[in-house]
Amino acid sequence: MGAGAERAGGQRAVAAMHSPVNWALLGLIVERPSYAYELAQRFERTYGDALSLSSVSHAYVALGTLKERGLVEELAGTRTGRQPKPHYRATVAGMEEYHAWLIGQVAEERKRQQVFLLQLTALTRDSAKAVEILDAYEGACLDENSATRIPAGEDGAPDDARVLQARLIAEEKRLAIGAKIAWARFARSEIKALSMRARPGNPSDGRAAAAGGREPDR
Amino acid sequence: MSLLELRNVAKRHSSGGRKVVVLDDASLSIDAGELVAVWGLRGSGRTTLLRLATGIDAPDRGTVCFAGRDLADHGDELLGREIGFCRKSFRTARGQTAIEEVIVGLLVKGAVPAEARVRAREALERVDGASLGARRISELDSGERTRLAIADALSLGPRLLAIDEPVAGVDLRHRDAVLLLLRSLADEGIAVLMTVGDPTGLTGADQSLTIGDGELCGSVKRELEPVADLSLRRQASG
Repeated sequence: MGAGAERAGGQRAVAAMHSPVNWALLGLIVERPSYAYELAQRFERTYGDALSLSSVSHAYVALGTLKERGLVEELAGTRTGRQPKPHYRATVAGMEEYHAWLIGQVAEERKRQQVFLLQLTALTRDSAKAVEILDAYEGACLDENSATRIPAGEDGAPDDARVLQARLIAEEKRLAIGAKIAWARFARSEIKALSMRARPGNPSDGRAAAAGGREPDR
Repeated sequence: MSLLELRNVAKRHSSGGRKVVVLDDASLSIDAGELVAVWGLRGSGRTTLLRLATGIDAPDRGTVCFAGRDLADHGDELLGREIGFCRKSFRTARGQTAIEEVIVGLLVKGAVPAEARVRAREALERVDGASLGARRISELDSGERTRLAIADALSLGPRLLAIDEPVAGVDLRHRDAVLLLLRSLADEGIAVLMTVGDPTGLTGADQSLTIGDGELCGSVKRELEPVADLSLRRQASG
């Protein structure tokens, strides 16, 4: 994440920008120039429950931060009239940092998931409890999956950017949940197999083999 | 009473000289108008589940009932009529073109030729496949073959449609159109039971289930009572 560690010709180090609201606001400005109040409205429409501003003034504060860091700049000629609405656009540095931050999020998401899985698999010493939790985890994934609608569309052809955005989000969600369901099934099978092996004189009845895809289609 | 009910079904297969548990005390209920999707790894028993649910195979233990009738006694009369099983492997000897494939299936079931032609055309239109009718089956891609398989089964007017991996090999851009088609059939009142090899195919189902290690686990979207309690039942019996 670049967030301006060596901004302004390396004159001084600037701490990385961690606020997801700031980055989200920058993303909206990268999409198209806006003024503060409009940005707050677009923010609400775009991010909904996923991310929220504490108030409209939060947008003004975030804009100030972005401007201070040289990530956005005021568009000339927009501070006119009785109620001036200065529009902001992303600077070249703003664009570059936003792109770098987006790519960095892949690793961040991976780290978050890894921490969660480490916490979850800490329970594997108690296999019965682990299986119970994995059942619930898988159930939650299936519920979320069921609540997801199949995106409609003409053979998947997006007709505008918003439709495309919705489709990409829906597909990412389906793939992510699908991976979690497959993982839960795999983990449960492995934990059961481990538990069976740990029991002295208890031969396997062949169920564990299903996890590895070693059997032909039935 | 649900349209299809599997009660405490068990099924084992022999593999390499040992018994493998495919299903162990599995229960499932499907109502008319429900779309049920089952995901499992390769070899997990998802195809076996479909074969049991349609009466093609009999369980080692437990019962499978369709509209209150035990498939052990009535399977032959129901399969291919009230129960449709979609096959994606076509015997080209039955027909060179897609519509001929559907027509021959109807003729085999006793329809007269004129009626068979009308019903075949309607079934193809229903799956948005009217343009497929005159094409050779060998020319169809995976998605088109799936539509033809569904039309073939629909032409017989089933109340339950079972389909094995409808989106396997279907291009990602066309996958959702197939899933939406199955969703629309359920919305019209047909009970649809499908297996998927990729968990993304579970999206939009009323019941999303997984199968593996002999267990059938799942959740219910709507206010329908049965499968939600499967894990509880498992815990109680374990």
